[in-house]
Amino acid sequence: MNLWALFWVFLAALYFFLPMFGTFDFSLRMKKGELSLLAYKTVLADPQFFQSFSYSVTMGIITVALSIMLFVPTVYWIHLKVPKARPIVEVITILPFVIPVIVFVFGLIRTFSAPPLQMTLSPFKTDILMVAGYIILSMPFMYRAVDVGMRTIDVRSLTEAAQSLGANWIQIMLNVIFPNLRNAILSGSLICFATVIGELILGDFLVRPALGPYMVLVGRDKAYEPAALAIISYALTWACLGLITFLSRGSNSQQQLTGR
Amino acid sequence: MSYLELSHVNKDFGGVKAVEDFNLSVNQGDFVSFLGPSGCGKTTTLRMIAGFELPSNGQITLNQKDLTYLPPNKRFVGMVFQSYALFPNMTVEKNIGYGMQVIGKPREEIKKRVDEMLNLIHMESFRTRYPGQLSGGQQQRVALARALAIRPQVLLLDEPLSALDAKIRVELRQEIRSLQQQLGITTVYVTHDQEEALSLSDKIVVMSEGRIEQVGTPTEIYNYPVNEFVAKFVGQLNLLPVVVVDPLQGMVKLGQQLIQTNRHGHLNGRPVQLAVRPEELSPGFKEGSNNLEGKVEAITYLGAIVRIRVEIEGNLVSLDLFNDTKLKIPAVGDHYSLTFPIDSCWII
Repeated sequence: MNLWALFWVFLAALYFFLPMFGTFDFSLRMKKGELSLLAYKTVLADPQFFQSFSYSVTMGIITVALSIMLFVPTVYWIHLKVPKARPIVEVITILPFVIPVIVFVFGLIRTFSAPPLQMTLSPFKTDILMVAGYIILSMPFMYRAVDVGMRTIDVRSLTEAAQSLGANWIQIMLNVIFPNLRNAILSGSLICFATVIGELILGDFLVRPALGPYMVLVGRDKAYEPAALAIISYALTWACLGLITFLSRGSNSQQQLTGR
Repeated sequence: MSYLELSHVNKDFGGVKAVEDFNLSVNQGDFVSFLGPSGCGKTTTLRMIAGFELPSNGQITLNQKDLTYLPPNKRFVGMVFQSYALFPNMTVEKNIGYGMQVIGKPREEIKKRVDEMLNLIHMESFRTRYPGQLSGGQQQRVALARALAIRPQVLLLDEPLSALDAKIRVELRQEIRSLQQQLGITTVYVTHDQEEALSLSDKIVVMSEGRIEQVGTPTEIYNYPVNEFVAKFVGQLNLLPVVVVDPLQGMVKLGQQLIQTNRHGHLNGRPVQLAVRPEELSPGFKEGSNNLEGKVEAITYLGAIVRIRVEIEGNLVSLDLFNDTKLKIPAVGDHYSLTFPIDSCWII
């Protein structure tokens, strides 16, 4: 590696780690004149933090589960039966990036709070609306992860091989498709989960106790606690990445032992 | 009544005819190959037998049962793919046992059959390996065992050796034939490789543009091709433009040189083509045979064979000579005489 390459790597690391270090350093200075974990203690002692955190985690798990059930069979079907529709579907899946979230949420509320559904009248129905919204917002990540995974395996031949051996569609999905997409589904799920945990606008507009609105609320009134919360969310992201690496390590053990 | 029967089977893809009026009867235990160039409809026909494609019309029966519109998972037909299609998440033994597992066979029976199959393909020590840990040849043997483990009514093989290197291809070809004969299983094999078809099959179906050109034993296909396509596609062939000079005697003329043929069918006094295989030609002059004179244009070494191309009356004629140590190879530009028996050539 030449000196210029080292310089750019150093610069990139500085760009990434310096603000993080600044935030971390600031979060430790709540007690005047000394470094302490007081900001973290205050955040973790707040029952509202746990309430919003557990609410967002629950929403995240439900969103991930429903997204998997929705997107894996859909992407599978597109690959198998209508591959020509793939470019159109790809455009549809990036719409959440194109349409501002605020417009999307406003449309959601306008449509589903009106009769006959009136989904914003009870917390349970609102939660259903929240999950539906989260599925749409995380769709680009989940769709793409599953789609990339699907491209790495010969879906058609594997399906036909299983069919010729007598397997029905459910057996093919459970025994062949899902296990071979494990890493793709896992990656999509964790990005989807992270999106739900950090999402602000849906929770705010539908007035549900999600983590995003809570972080904004804390940020408005306090100085050190938001910094501590930012570090906690960083830690959660890294934990997610660690989890991906840990759970997908099995696939590396199937090394090629002989020639092709 | 034949075991596998395809009657008037057609397949259209958006107005394009992939298979046209396909009729075939296969006896139980036969090894049948579909041979033809890419896009001739051989794989489509195989996929219709497997149930992955539905015929536009026509009927497919197997053991007197109509299969035409039966879903693939109800056909009990074993399939081996060019890309192996082994399940990457399963070990060799799980792959082989999968077909029995999905139809709910008891665990002991599955284990017994898997052991039997592993023994058959000589891969007992590979049972816990994953497909990614096997070579191409090993993967294809596992795919074969997996297809055979369900004791299928018919075994279908879609260019199973195409992705393998030449040496493994020959080895595996012999293994497939030996397994097929050992188990007596009716087999349909798709290939574009004439050598594979000729060496493996009881019967060959030569196809072109969705139609059957000829059905016959390897000997019939090679020695008695019914038309120009089959003659050209199977084996090497010299085609020479000749003019009929005496239809009753079977005499034709190549430039200024006279050739006699025994086959009079198409001799009608018009310009026709004379067909003769390169291995029928030999150097020198022989009384009572056809003899031609020309100039050596090129010499190609093909291992056991040396192919000499001779320019005769403006046409290139190939002759194949066995490459033994005593072979006298001419030089390019040499004057060259060649001879072939009267009954070894025919008019197209």
